[in-house]
Amino acid sequence: MAAEATAVAACPACGAAVGAQATFCEACGHELSLPAPTGTGAPAGEAAAGRWLTSTGGPTACPGCGGTAFDEDEYCETCGQRRPVALDHRELDLEIVAGVTDRGVRHTRNEDAMGLGVAPGVQVGIVCDGVSSSTRPDAAAHAAVEAATPAVLAELAEGHPPGEAITTAAGAAQAAAALVAGRAPGANPPSCTFVCAVLKGDMVTVGWVGDSRAYWLPDDGAAERLTADDSLAGRLAAAGVQSAEIAQNRSASALVRWLGADAPDAVPHLRAFQPPGPGRVLVCSDGVFRYRPEAAELAELMPDKPPLDTARDLVAFALDQGGHDNITAVVLTYPPGAEEDIKT
Amino acid sequence: MSEAAFTAEVYQNQYLPAGGTVVDAVVTVTASGGTLRPGSAPPSAAQVIMIDCSGSMANPVTKIAEAKKATMAAIDTLRDGVAFAVVSGRNEADMVYPHQPMLVPASPQTRNEAKFAVSRLSAAGGTAIGRWLAMANMLFAGNPAEVKHAILLTDGRNQHETAEQLAATLRACEGRFICDARGVGADWVANELMAVASTLLGSADGLPDPAELVEEFRTMTEAAMGKGMAEVALRLWTPAGAKLRFVKQAFPHVEDLSGRRVEVSPRVGDYPTGAWGAESRDYHVSVEVAPGGLGEEMLAARVSLVSGDQVLAQGRVLATWTDDTALSTQINPRVAHYTGQAELAEAIQQGLAAREAGDVETATAKLGRAVQLAEETGRDDTAKLLGKVVDVIDAGTGTVRLKQKVAGVDAELASVRSVKTVRVRNI
Repeated sequence: MAAEATAVAACPACGAAVGAQATFCEACGHELSLPAPTGTGAPAGEAAAGRWLTSTGGPTACPGCGGTAFDEDEYCETCGQRRPVALDHRELDLEIVAGVTDRGVRHTRNEDAMGLGVAPGVQVGIVCDGVSSSTRPDAAAHAAVEAATPAVLAELAEGHPPGEAITTAAGAAQAAAALVAGRAPGANPPSCTFVCAVLKGDMVTVGWVGDSRAYWLPDDGAAERLTADDSLAGRLAAAGVQSAEIAQNRSASALVRWLGADAPDAVPHLRAFQPPGPGRVLVCSDGVFRYRPEAAELAELMPDKPPLDTARDLVAFALDQGGHDNITAVVLTYPPGAEEDIKT
Repeated sequence: MSEAAFTAEVYQNQYLPAGGTVVDAVVTVTASGGTLRPGSAPPSAAQVIMIDCSGSMANPVTKIAEAKKATMAAIDTLRDGVAFAVVSGRNEADMVYPHQPMLVPASPQTRNEAKFAVSRLSAAGGTAIGRWLAMANMLFAGNPAEVKHAILLTDGRNQHETAEQLAATLRACEGRFICDARGVGADWVANELMAVASTLLGSADGLPDPAELVEEFRTMTEAAMGKGMAEVALRLWTPAGAKLRFVKQAFPHVEDLSGRRVEVSPRVGDYPTGAWGAESRDYHVSVEVAPGGLGEEMLAARVSLVSGDQVLAQGRVLATWTDDTALSTQINPRVAHYTGQAELAEAIQQGLAAREAGDVETATAKLGRAVQLAEETGRDDTAKLLGKVVDVIDAGTGTVRLKQKVAGVDAELASVRSVKTVRVRNI
């Protein structure tokens, strides 16, 4: 009897583990007696290429008024508020890869999106951060991860090298984000950043457009940032200017590249390297690293724990620091497991 | 071919500053193509022509002569099978054709009979417009036609019944038929024609020269015959907690529809727009919503054109809150344009009313502002009409002096045409 009481099931909406006696999912608030919300995109995918999850999937009730009727463009029939594309807080767990995203304290909705995937000998982590000065940035971010996550797994399964797979996935993400703008994109069409880490064999490959980041956090040795921000500040830093000399003002942090209908281009920067030993890769939005931008500082926040617990710790830390932005952390484990490690 | 014949386009600046609550939008609705109901015949139609036969129509005699020719032209424009009647208006309304108070289908024979009856009309008696409309209402009442259209022609003041009687008759006729009202000669009253046209969803105008009547009657009848969809309503959804500040037709003429709301459900109301042919109209919608958080996006109104429960076209009015003042301070050019046009119409009407009441100060101020607005918005037609009522000293600053001698018809023309609008150019 005791064993039955502690048995777990999965939430139909977000896939998080829930207690057998639970009425609501603690991760997403979904009422467990109900099926997954329709029309918001199935959160979990299963393909020959591997397993994947994204944080896409909105609440069944309007956060503004509790209404449950929405029109075809997701506007609440009662109060007119647009239904969020995703929940304020979401946890995704594929055990060796896990991610947590949170709205934070200052923002009214979570405009970050994440996708994670596993396949034999492969781990994928993607974060897209909606550009808050654009229209419906959350829609762009979710469209991007929904397109990119299965795309990168499919490309890898077909035998393409990780760099090519990431480039193709970024193209898919760009097309999806641009489509969100509809027929009349307007002055500020939906836009987002893109960062993708692929762990395959003994290689770590990252690709990015914008200012979301990836870090290498070895079990032994010095942590390292793998990406260089697509911002004025990032370009100065890449050119060798000391970070202390770069004014952290608005224009310095302004994005110079992004995904969306008005994106200048969608070709990701790529970096591949072969770590000397085991460790973890962190893929995250600025809501995480704004408080501890240096790799060494981040490493101090990440004691050896399972990926989901580590992601939770990082999000809790950012919330504790003020939660000025949306917060998303995806943690991957190096070296990626062999086939028998993949839970199917 | 079953193509969507109606389109709705929304013009607005959806960006509001933090705490902003008022959302303005212009919705352009366009109906195109001859058959607005795919795969079916045009809607059945009926027309009643009310022709003023009061004694003054014989002075000058060209008024009654041209009115008869115009009525015949209208009869010739009727499609075969359209139910029609001609009514002569004096202190009472009398049947001209047919003799019995009923409508008959148009055919070569009935058209000839009707034109013969019209040719024998003579001018004698008074003017009681409400009685004529009541007759038209009775004639339409027993007829199943979808588009019911009337033409009312008068040359003088409605003096043989009270204003209250006319108002009561208009209320009884509202929603039963559409009526275009025309004044001929120099003695008609703009307010009366505008009351008829406004209540009965038609147009109002004055024709000082009787020679223009024939073309006008033909055009009005052609437009009625070209209606492809009857009983179309503008449907507005607004969110819970929102307040509809106003909904106005902004083109082809200004008409405040706010008071005509028919509740459909707590958040949905219908505003009747009458029958539609191949035409385009603009509506100005202004909604007050509860302020949202920065970055939030809400649907402030959904504007549809409906026929029964069928949605013919739909547009969305959005609100997004932003701290980017470059976005939130912009005013949509179309919204600005029609806001100015509505102010122009109001300034003319208030100025003329003040002038009529002997309030020189108010009249000078309002008509001066009207001259200024007409100048700013390039309304040469309006400026010309105003120039017959005031001496313009400086149009740019709106400095004017009331003319001492004004032909009565010039003030009435300025009034009846004050509500006409033009579309904004090059936007």
